[in-house]
Amino acid sequence: MPTNIKKTQETNLSAIIEGLINAEVEFILVGGLAAVTQGAPVTTMDVAIVYNRSPENISKLFAFLKSIDATYRRPDKKIIAPKEEDFSGMGHALFTTRIGPLDVLAFIEERKTYEDLVKHTIKIEFRGQTIQVLDIKMLIELKRKSKDPKDKQRLPVLEETLRQLEKKEG
Amino acid sequence: MGKNIETKNNSGVDEGLVAMFLKMSPEERLKSNDNAVRAILELRNAYKYQKNAGNES
Repeated sequence: MPTNIKKTQETNLSAIIEGLINAEVEFILVGGLAAVTQGAPVTTMDVAIVYNRSPENISKLFAFLKSIDATYRRPDKKIIAPKEEDFSGMGHALFTTRIGPLDVLAFIEERKTYEDLVKHTIKIEFRGQTIQVLDIKMLIELKRKSKDPKDKQRLPVLEETLRQLEKKEG
Repeated sequence: MGKNIETKNNSGVDEGLVAMFLKMSPEERLKSNDNAVRAILELRNAYKYQKNAGNES
């Protein structure tokens, strides 16, 4: 086995979530990790969040991103750090950080923002704190409308997870 | 050879795997994903290393 492989970063997606909580960022966990936390046996390589776009929250988010050396994920080798004003618009910001990839989204499918999604979240205990996670029903609803092949591929797993969850809950 | 018990539903989803994940706590599920990501990255690095070593020889 090769032993001299250089590790460029130690990916730890749970540490990203914990960091967001500790930085008091208001966010909703969406995407693959939202599905994972609710029991879907899928693997995802990044954390995706939708954040509250209040100026106070943006400041907290920006400070956290700086603390984990976030730079924009790009196909070329240019290193571009975010600016605080990048987060006040309706954009998607995809980052590489020293603890793993993080997608910071102002909205998701159908331009649903934090305010639209917050009523479709469940609260999950994580390392003694509470996080808001987009509920599996809404995840399925959005994936059904998605044109992304990855979403289409995952949909049957999410549907089976919901079926078993509902059966369990009676 | 062991007995092959079919647990897949009509869409090809492994129902047993879903049931296994549902028995875990959310925190355990996140940990399991972290471990999977690490394993994937390690395998990718190993593949890259082998490919580069092959190109050099």
